[in-house]
Amino acid sequence: MLPVSYYLIVSAIVFSIGVYGVMTLRSGIMIMMCVELMLNAANINLVAFSAHFSQVNGHVFVLFSIALAAAEAAIGFAILMNIFRSRGNVNIDNINILRW
Amino acid sequence: MDFGSLAFLIPGLPVLAFVLTLAFGKKMPHGGGHIPIVAIALSFIISVLIFLQIYPEHGTVEQSAHWFSVLNVGIFIDPLAIVMLMMVTFVSLLIHIYALGYMSHDPGQTRYFAETALFTAAMLGVVLADNILQFFIAWELVGLCSYLLIGFWFRKPSAAAAAKKAFLTTRVGDVLFLAGIVILYFNMYTHVLPEVGSHGTVYLLQFKTIFAHLTLIPTDQLTIITLLFFGGAVGKSGQFPLHVWLPDAMEGPTTVSALIHAATMVTAGVYLVARTFPMFIAAPESLIIVALIGGFTALFASTMGLVMNDIKRVLAFSTISQLGYMMMGLGVGAIIGAEAVGFAMFHLINHAFFKACLFLCAGSVIHAVGTNDLREMGGLYGKMKITAITMLISSLALAGIGIPVSIGAIKLGTSGFISKDAIILEGAYSYLHFGGAYGSLIFFFGVAAALLTSIYTFRLWFMAFTGKPRQERHAHESPSTMTVPLMILAALALVFGALTFSPFIHYLETTYENEFFEEIDPSGYIHGLAERGGYHIPENPIVHLTLAHDTLIMMLPVIAGLLGLAISWAIYHKRMFSVASIGNMRNPLYRILAKRYYQHEIFIELISLKFTYGVLALTGEFSDRKIVDGIIDGISSFIIGGAEVLKKIQTGVVQNYATATILGVALLALVLTFGVI
Repeated sequence: MLPVSYYLIVSAIVFSIGVYGVMTLRSGIMIMMCVELMLNAANINLVAFSAHFSQVNGHVFVLFSIALAAAEAAIGFAILMNIFRSRGNVNIDNINILRW
Repeated sequence: MDFGSLAFLIPGLPVLAFVLTLAFGKKMPHGGGHIPIVAIALSFIISVLIFLQIYPEHGTVEQSAHWFSVLNVGIFIDPLAIVMLMMVTFVSLLIHIYALGYMSHDPGQTRYFAETALFTAAMLGVVLADNILQFFIAWELVGLCSYLLIGFWFRKPSAAAAAKKAFLTTRVGDVLFLAGIVILYFNMYTHVLPEVGSHGTVYLLQFKTIFAHLTLIPTDQLTIITLLFFGGAVGKSGQFPLHVWLPDAMEGPTTVSALIHAATMVTAGVYLVARTFPMFIAAPESLIIVALIGGFTALFASTMGLVMNDIKRVLAFSTISQLGYMMMGLGVGAIIGAEAVGFAMFHLINHAFFKACLFLCAGSVIHAVGTNDLREMGGLYGKMKITAITMLISSLALAGIGIPVSIGAIKLGTSGFISKDAIILEGAYSYLHFGGAYGSLIFFFGVAAALLTSIYTFRLWFMAFTGKPRQERHAHESPSTMTVPLMILAALALVFGALTFSPFIHYLETTYENEFFEEIDPSGYIHGLAERGGYHIPENPIVHLTLAHDTLIMMLPVIAGLLGLAISWAIYHKRMFSVASIGNMRNPLYRILAKRYYQHEIFIELISLKFTYGVLALTGEFSDRKIVDGIIDGISSFIIGGAEVLKKIQTGVVQNYATATILGVALLALVLTFGVI
């Protein structure tokens, strides 16, 4: 059995890719996918620790998190669709409507 | 039945009358004037019942409800308060009845009656208060009502100005009074609370508590407090130098003048000093200032009364002068002790009767001839006999005409004669006798003012009622609602003093010698207080003059009064001297009097414009505009500038916020992991 640190390293790498993507990418869809990457990095951690401590809790959390991520993604894409309708693209630089 | 429990109704009923008159008066005859009359009549009846109940055993009525931990609201009726209560309700009642006739043509009757009811209620509140804070609240209400009533005809610019002047001038005194209360409170807090705090609840500003622990407060503090209190009294009672508002207060209806000058308002100041008399006697330096200011005011105001041509202004100056007498009567308490309160209050009550009568007579005359100017009157005697005779009687009382002999316990003379004699001869002369440093000065003020009072009083009477009419007018006697109160008041002015002199003084003396004070120190609490202030009250403080030995001194006030009468008679009735030769502006003495010692110029031009406006206001403006505004503007422009900078960070791009969050979390992680940045 692989030591848990290996999983954590993979998870950290995936998470960092996700963060990098969120911080730098311009396309809204790509950013959403990067958020998915970060969530999955967390899921890897949960599963790894769950296996390591032989407890089922972590698996349950992962199921929840996947379900929630799916819901969140659905809403996020719906929002992006609406932005696309009104602005013609989903380039994040154009979406500064939060500014007062 | 215990009538003391009804005491709260005494000011309560007029307040109720105020509300009812405002609400329903418009639809009633006489603008609802009957409501306050009924209410005040009931207050008067209750006062008399309480008096009859507490008089035999010299008792008191006390009611108190606590309010926060060291304050209370309550009612305290002792001999001093009950005589005031009866006087205020009675005189106010007569004035209200008179006003039914006097104000019958005025469109603002409802407002008038509502305000006078509130005025009376406020004054009764002052009299009933059992603690100094409640006293002050009612005192301020009195000031407010006087403002409203002096400016009753507010569309007239002079009335509006007079109301403002009265309000602002008395406000100067009120601020001093309030400062005195604050200092008193802190003294009670530091010196008295630790002493009595362990014995349960203690109400620091209650008169009883204050008097009971006077010895714990340092004398110099008491001197400051009492002087500040006296400052309040100077404002309300129109003493020098804050008397300037009183003559101008004549702009209100004459009945208001009568109310202010006889029953309410101006007597509040005298009552304040009488009420807090134990404090004053523990700080006799203040009492000497009270006596000097009072004596000086008595003389000073009567000199101005000599030359006024407005019938009401003559009376206004005589009020200032008579209030000066009352203050003088209280002030001599530094030597003669608590009896001084009796003298001063006796004069106050008598003054209320004859001054109310004089003002109402003046109102009757004005009602008849339609002018205030004495120079346009004359020869009214034949047309208005009742007014003329009642006015003559009250003028005799004001001038203090009488015979210095007594039949048994009853002295012969008008009320004013007896009370003025009590102040000048028994008060001021005892002061002189026992070597008070200022005794002779005060005695001189008293006698000189008596002479001048007599001159201007009869000048008024002769000018209005005798000789030939200077202008043809259709004068007629007033209706009976107006003349009946006049007759009642004149009768009281004539005989009240003679009938009640010695019981009154003895009753009032018990104010500060009742059970409560005996508990503190049975062997003459008041005298002990004076010694703390460095003054000694002699064993028998009052010099009892007898006609056989001290004829000249006994006769002095009478001579002054009669001499004044003779001078007036010679000048204004017989016309032995030409009035015009003395009374014109080329005579420097006349000019200075007619210009009222240039007080207007001094107060307005010098103090207000040059000093207050020129120095204080401009300094204030500079510091406000440059310093305070500068600081505020600096702070706000710094904040606005900072916001401009920070605004750049708010890009509205979600990514930037996310980046900031992630960097922050990363930094936090580093700090938490390695303990460094």
